[in-house]
Amino acid sequence: MKNVGVDGSTTLKVYESRGGYVAARKALAMDTNAVVEEVKKANLRGRGGAGFPAGVKWGFLPKDRTTTLLCVNADESEPPTFCNRVLMEHDPHQLIEGTIIAAYATRSQVAYIYMRGEFHEQFHVLQKAIDEAYEAGYLGKKVLGTDYALECYIHRGAGAYVCGEETGLIESLEGKRGQPRIKPPFPAIEGLFRRPTVVNNVETLSCLPHIMERGADWFTGIGPPHSAGPKLFCVSGPVNKPGCYEAAMDITVRELIERDDMGGGMLSGRKVKAVFPGGLSMGVLTVDELDMKMDFEDPRNYSLLGLGTAAAVVVDDATDIRLVLRNVARFYGTESCGQCTQCREGTSWMQRIAQRIESGAGRMEDLDLLLETARNMGMMPGLSICGLSDGATYPIETIVKKFRPELEAAIRSQPAGQVEAVLQAAN
Amino acid sequence: MSWKAIDRNQAVVDADAPPLLSEGVREKILSYTHRYETKRAALLPALHLVQNTLGHVSWQAMVEIAALLDIQPSDVFDTLTFYTHFWTHPKGEKVITVCRSLSCEVLGGAAVLDALKARLGIEEHGTSSDGQYSLVTEECLAGCDHAPCMLINEKLHKNVKLDDLERILADGDNDRVDMPRSDLFDAPPVAESKQPASATEDDSRTTDD
Amino acid sequence: MAKIIIDNQELECREGMPVLRAALEAGWDIPHYCYHPGLSVAASCRLCLMEMKMPHPKTREMDWAPKLFPACQTPVRDGLEVRFNSDVVKTAQESCMEFFLLNHPLDCPVCDQAGECCLQDYSYKFGRAESRMVDPKVVNPKKDIGPHTLLYTDRCVTCTRCVRFTREIAGTGELCLVQRGSKNEIDVFPGRPLDNPMQGNVVDICPVGCLLDKDFLFKRRVWELTGTSSICPGCATGCSIRVDHADNRVYRLKPRYNPKVNDWWMCDEGRFGFKYTQDNARIIKPMLRRGREETSPSWREIPDIVRFRFQDHVRASSADKVVAVLSPFMATEEAWLLIRFIREVAPEAALAMGPVPVEGEPQAFPCAPPGAPSMPDVKFTILEEKCPNRRGIEQLLEVSGGTVLTFEAFSEQAAKGDFTAAWIVGGYPKPWVEKDTAKLGSKFGLLVVQDLFENKLTEAAAIVLPACAWVERDGSFVNAKGLAQPFERAISPPDGAMRDGQYLFEIAGFEGLYSGQRVRELMAEATASLTEVYEAPPIPAHAH
Repeated sequence: MKNVGVDGSTTLKVYESRGGYVAARKALAMDTNAVVEEVKKANLRGRGGAGFPAGVKWGFLPKDRTTTLLCVNADESEPPTFCNRVLMEHDPHQLIEGTIIAAYATRSQVAYIYMRGEFHEQFHVLQKAIDEAYEAGYLGKKVLGTDYALECYIHRGAGAYVCGEETGLIESLEGKRGQPRIKPPFPAIEGLFRRPTVVNNVETLSCLPHIMERGADWFTGIGPPHSAGPKLFCVSGPVNKPGCYEAAMDITVRELIERDDMGGGMLSGRKVKAVFPGGLSMGVLTVDELDMKMDFEDPRNYSLLGLGTAAAVVVDDATDIRLVLRNVARFYGTESCGQCTQCREGTSWMQRIAQRIESGAGRMEDLDLLLETARNMGMMPGLSICGLSDGATYPIETIVKKFRPELEAAIRSQPAGQVEAVLQAAN
Repeated sequence: MSWKAIDRNQAVVDADAPPLLSEGVREKILSYTHRYETKRAALLPALHLVQNTLGHVSWQAMVEIAALLDIQPSDVFDTLTFYTHFWTHPKGEKVITVCRSLSCEVLGGAAVLDALKARLGIEEHGTSSDGQYSLVTEECLAGCDHAPCMLINEKLHKNVKLDDLERILADGDNDRVDMPRSDLFDAPPVAESKQPASATEDDSRTTDD
Repeated sequence: MAKIIIDNQELECREGMPVLRAALEAGWDIPHYCYHPGLSVAASCRLCLMEMKMPHPKTREMDWAPKLFPACQTPVRDGLEVRFNSDVVKTAQESCMEFFLLNHPLDCPVCDQAGECCLQDYSYKFGRAESRMVDPKVVNPKKDIGPHTLLYTDRCVTCTRCVRFTREIAGTGELCLVQRGSKNEIDVFPGRPLDNPMQGNVVDICPVGCLLDKDFLFKRRVWELTGTSSICPGCATGCSIRVDHADNRVYRLKPRYNPKVNDWWMCDEGRFGFKYTQDNARIIKPMLRRGREETSPSWREIPDIVRFRFQDHVRASSADKVVAVLSPFMATEEAWLLIRFIREVAPEAALAMGPVPVEGEPQAFPCAPPGAPSMPDVKFTILEEKCPNRRGIEQLLEVSGGTVLTFEAFSEQAAKGDFTAAWIVGGYPKPWVEKDTAKLGSKFGLLVVQDLFENKLTEAAAIVLPACAWVERDGSFVNAKGLAQPFERAISPPDGAMRDGQYLFEIAGFEGLYSGQRVRELMAEATASLTEVYEAPPIPAHAH
């Protein structure tokens, strides 16, 4: 994030004056395999949420391929994540440089940047930067004066969370509904337009210029060995300084919220009640669990799905946990693509239950029903085609499990006959 | 449940109607197809372009887009309705998209939405009687560091406070971002007349709640 | 072939086919909605999940992987071991069924599908007894999506079989999926209804009562229907079908799987083409005419009357003045009996092929999508030749030898008065006696006409014999590809009528009951190629 906050950081001139496109030149002078090896050595794990090593992903491409396509996942839709937005808004050339390096390493001819439809300003910034890069000869027939040719287009989404799933993104790019594909075949073998395809996240690609410039050893020197390199952390909610902060992956949730150079502590008079540390889908932490490390491994020790997008949203003690439950349930109810039964029906059922609980007509058995529905949606991998279903179960399950006393108290305090009245009116 | 069925045999597009999409828009759509291996892949850019031009994607526009991209009108209908940003019926001059993600809700996003509903006299997906504003919500606008936030057309309004609403609504330029734009790709098309929404017409097809 | 193990039982099956299909065909009743062997794999209903043995990531020992796999998407390969009978799989099936039923209206008492509904069957076998949902159901509208079909959206399980059918088999793509998540619905583009010539199949492949046939709507409960295997007579393709009937009335035709002909499909023309069988104008009694006097003899008298009249005639004139015109709607067996009789009473008799109805051009499916560079692989063809057995009759004529005429040659010669006695077989569902043919009626001293409906020829005939519709007969048809296929009798002829095969059997001098099989045995010596019939292998009912 070295150029964020610098005047004119979106322009090629400023980017170059600060050492921009040096890394791309260096990479293009190397053998493509050498670039892949360097990235493998850096153990650059995908920043999009799954944490899969980028170099390994590239290694799945068939050796004898003739056409390769690169998709840049800029469909950042996981609430409350906005680090890609910051990168594209303030440092578009870093993304373009990363894209050039990744495209070169994977021998891609075209790079599609799939950007979520809600980004308007960012779209104009990035498109302008792409234009500049074309004019300067950094994109097009002769990238940086070499014989390597690369076209780069922005493809705008239109409001569908599931298009952030890599095969949903590919379907959407093909002009279809963004329903994730069944795998195998994996995109590396048969992806966009049935060509070998690589999908990488914006933040992942933005790391590449730094890895190429300073070397894999520099990268692995930052943070714990299994979670190497700098990472962008978002923090939002009732904190003093909501924003996006760069750090090694050895900070804790507490540090992210409280450190002066990060969240800066809670707004006056508010206390932490709950934190979703990695985007909603990873699940929730209680105030007693804030010492969790924000790396790729530790979240599992707190019944969370993973690090996710490393975007923390803080919920304060003035917020009713029922509101949180409903907000989360509604998100998945709205965003499920509807392909797989468990996810289509489960998310919408959980949404209806959560809405009823929030409206003051919860039943004790609803809590177990929520847990069982969550279990039926994600008791084992493979229940549905993509991970959205799992992502929907973790927050619901962790909210109900970790905040059960509060939920039970709320249900107990409902006036008698409320449930019956509401159900009768609804049905 | 009534026994009445929606009749899908009735045509909604007049086969003899003059083309809705201008030559410029058609050319632009066809120019997108060169970016992809299949013509169909240009569908999302085409829908964006048409919606920006006409204010919505009407049935006739769908038929014309389908013809340009060598697909069936049902394919366009299928894809279009998957995405919440496209609508098949006219909306107000400006569309307000209120974020309802957790970050925004914890910091008062729901109150902003309620205030807008009251101020404009409409529910979600409704259009104000003067045809000026339509109101929708979105799960997350990725502006959580500026919560609560909302979009008016393409402009993101950050840290929206209830007291600011009147000022924001009164500002004639509240829906455009002023910045250099690319003319190499996606240049805004020549302005064509938007079809204004009638206040009563509710876009049921984008209902997402 | 590959060997796989399902639920501890070894099974030999074709490498590469989906495990689900192999299991279904071998008798496993695995719940599934979205999978259909004729369509692309969607793997979205998540009902056919199974456990699979995989090498352990560390020890490399084969063990059950901690993951579920859709059987429809997993190809068979040698040594594969899977199971459906574990608790995990059963729980997954049960919860999945609960999800399916959440928003289902449970209106089975008024639903046409009841009785052949996979939601009912699976709920009973794999589901749980009651719904735990207390919240309001999502209610979706009914849609009239085309001239023949209704869409009850609220019963839909979103398996998208129908959508894939119109895209992959019909190639017309009328159906689509709109909206997202729990709101998604099957739909058509307004004003572009589902009206392709293959559309009826979407009703067949709909595993629930969402897509319904207007023609069958509210006509009959399906458990009252009896299904009889038959062959569609609508065109020379010769699709395998099932005739569903009750109380001696045909209610609907359904395609029957036949890998050599129609796979799982049939066209609408064939599907709705049985209505003529219920026409009240049909000839149902034999009739004798002498001058203006008309009598209706009993069936018992018919064989003798017919035989005597022909013998008389041959005695009076010469045998080569006799002709029999065979119809391409006859079963091969029936035609053989008629030829046998005619050549017995008049060995020199001429044989002629009746007119072969042709309409339009052959239609191949899937239709080429707009702008497609090449035609896709043909999956189904509706032929322009609108009769079932031209090949069978032609082959019979060939092996019978003697004078064999085309219909044109027969017409020409008959018009000149070359024949004095004729037996003309009609049986065409549509009016077939053209002006020139009508004139021939007066050219014969003896005219026997066997037909479904009155026409100029029956008016001129000395003997009129009712022809029966194919659902009332049995025998075999030889399709355009030369495949002889048997069809069974579904219902009895209308009161007063007798099936053609039976009276031809008796007229030809045989005793007892006619059956296609029996005649094929009689035919075997002379015409072996016609007596070997192909019957499509039945597939288990649960492999829908």
